[in-house]
Amino acid sequence: MSFKEQVSSMNMEAIVEMCIDQEQQAIDLYTMARDQAKDKSARQKFQELIDMETEHKVALKDFELERYLELPPADLKVTDYLMAPNTRENMTTQQILILAAKREGKTARMYQELADLFVQDKKLNTFFQMMADEELRHKHDLETEYENEFLQEG
Amino acid sequence: MKRERPQSFNTVPIKERLTIPRQDMPEQDALQRSTNFLEVNLGLNPEQAVIEAQRCIECKNPTCMDGCPVNIKIPDFIQLICNEDFLGAADKIKEDNSLPAVCGRVCPQETQCEEVCVVGKRFEAVAIGRLERFVADYAMIHGNGSTKVFDKPEPSGQKVAIVGSGPAGLAVASDLIKEGHEITVFEALHEFGGVLVYGIPEFRLPKAILREEVANLEAMGVKFVKNFIVGRTMTIQELMADEGFDAVFLGLGAGLPRFMNIPGENLNGVYSANEFLTRSNLMRGYEFPEWDTPLYRAKHAIIVGGGNTAMDAVRTAKRLGADEASIVYRRSEEEMPARNEEIHHAKEEGVAFLNLVNPIKFIGDEQGNVIAAECLRMELGEPDGSGRRRPIPMKGSEFTMKVDMVVIAVGNGSNPLIAQTTPEIETNKWGNIVADEDGKTSMEGVYAGGDIVSGGATVILAMGAGRKSAAAISEYLKSKVGSVV
Repeated sequence: MSFKEQVSSMNMEAIVEMCIDQEQQAIDLYTMARDQAKDKSARQKFQELIDMETEHKVALKDFELERYLELPPADLKVTDYLMAPNTRENMTTQQILILAAKREGKTARMYQELADLFVQDKKLNTFFQMMADEELRHKHDLETEYENEFLQEG
Repeated sequence: MKRERPQSFNTVPIKERLTIPRQDMPEQDALQRSTNFLEVNLGLNPEQAVIEAQRCIECKNPTCMDGCPVNIKIPDFIQLICNEDFLGAADKIKEDNSLPAVCGRVCPQETQCEEVCVVGKRFEAVAIGRLERFVADYAMIHGNGSTKVFDKPEPSGQKVAIVGSGPAGLAVASDLIKEGHEITVFEALHEFGGVLVYGIPEFRLPKAILREEVANLEAMGVKFVKNFIVGRTMTIQELMADEGFDAVFLGLGAGLPRFMNIPGENLNGVYSANEFLTRSNLMRGYEFPEWDTPLYRAKHAIIVGGGNTAMDAVRTAKRLGADEASIVYRRSEEEMPARNEEIHHAKEEGVAFLNLVNPIKFIGDEQGNVIAAECLRMELGEPDGSGRRRPIPMKGSEFTMKVDMVVIAVGNGSNPLIAQTTPEIETNKWGNIVADEDGKTSMEGVYAGGDIVSGGATVILAMGAGRKSAAAISEYLKSKVGSVV
């Protein structure tokens, strides 16, 4: 069953639950990575990501339409062709940024599909579009950080 | 404080000075040099140096010194050249810069002292770098080591350990030995000079030049210890507690190569620029067969990146015999961080430039050797944080090119050894040591400077940071004496 077919058979409550679950999976992944990380700065970076995803979860629960109104930035696609690293205890900041940017990109695509699915329902369409934009914004920020540090070609 | 103007020895009237053309530095023929490792630039001759020095208009408020990270007294040494006192000019530079022959070769003067030269506002800037190189080389041939006899100060009885013999460490050693401290430089490799010896090829910086500069410091009393890995052979704590060092300077540089994290980077024939250049430079791969260092002689080499390291690697690959040696860079030439001179030289030597191209995968044969690179074409978008236009992948633009060697030159990170073995020293998320503007770290008596703090930068910036740290260490050592009752 495609994602579209799967979502079409769900009610709104179940869709939001699915999205919250998606955010929770990200929180769990980053928490595990934070707890495994030996390096203090890597732990800090994972904590930043946990805080960000927790905020998304709250937004979904409250169904807050006004939370993210800024226009989305361009998708830089910097990490799209890079290999996704596995989480392990001594991850480098470079690997953390790739992991997180890829994850944000994947979640952005999920919300975008939901927004497209509910194109007739303005309220739902707007909400999921904003969530997609928000995830894309995070991907953009992570990729900008990646580019500034790891692609200076000096 | 207002600076006293140096005595003028320039006999050319001011207006005429502006009509003198900037003196070209002779260089080896491009075709010839692309097959050897001899130095490309051959340096000005004395007549040219005097003519070039006469182009200086002796500004009332010279800005050139502000453009130099170690504040060399540029107007002063230029006047000494006008007076044909070349050894005096070398001494004048050495007051602020312990490595003039190195800096005269590898400093990006066009973005430092020469960029702010007043003559350069309307005409071509005075060739300060070429003049620096000329007097430093002249002093090496005609002078007495460090030229001026070094007046040894009274021993202070205090010991300073310098970790790393790159530009930052050598600058600290040079400043602190003059104050009577006992200085020991610890180097992990078997030759001194750090990135200057393992990173910069012979054709840009001959090793003999560097050895001479190190010998000068040795003659001044600096002790050099090689094959000594601080963090492994001995920790910083042991150096201070057991070996009695009163202060430590960390100038480890940024020697940890970064990769792109794309498929195929583990194939045979894919090198980091660090490994490739170290094999060629430090391990003398370029002197085959006298030195039998394993170093693949590629036919179709690509070097990924657009900085000076990429230029060094591609020109090395060409000299090692590659039929095609190409730069693959994801931005356009305008955004390249490499010096224009290096790009120009590379082109003259037959290096191809594939700009707005980015590899996304390396393909290997059954033996695990790289045989092709799958690439993507890019287009430029809006400027990014560095002010350069950002490259965006063009959908569906994938193409494959035949390669038998790839060198990744996208930058370097910090060596994690000190952070791992000395938890007292704070590092940032990139692994760089956190230090204040004087180089003071979070550990008492330990200072740091150069690329290990700033991330990859230039030789002269590392030296500037080293000199600031040297001044701070000097004050720290004085305060230690003062606090002993």
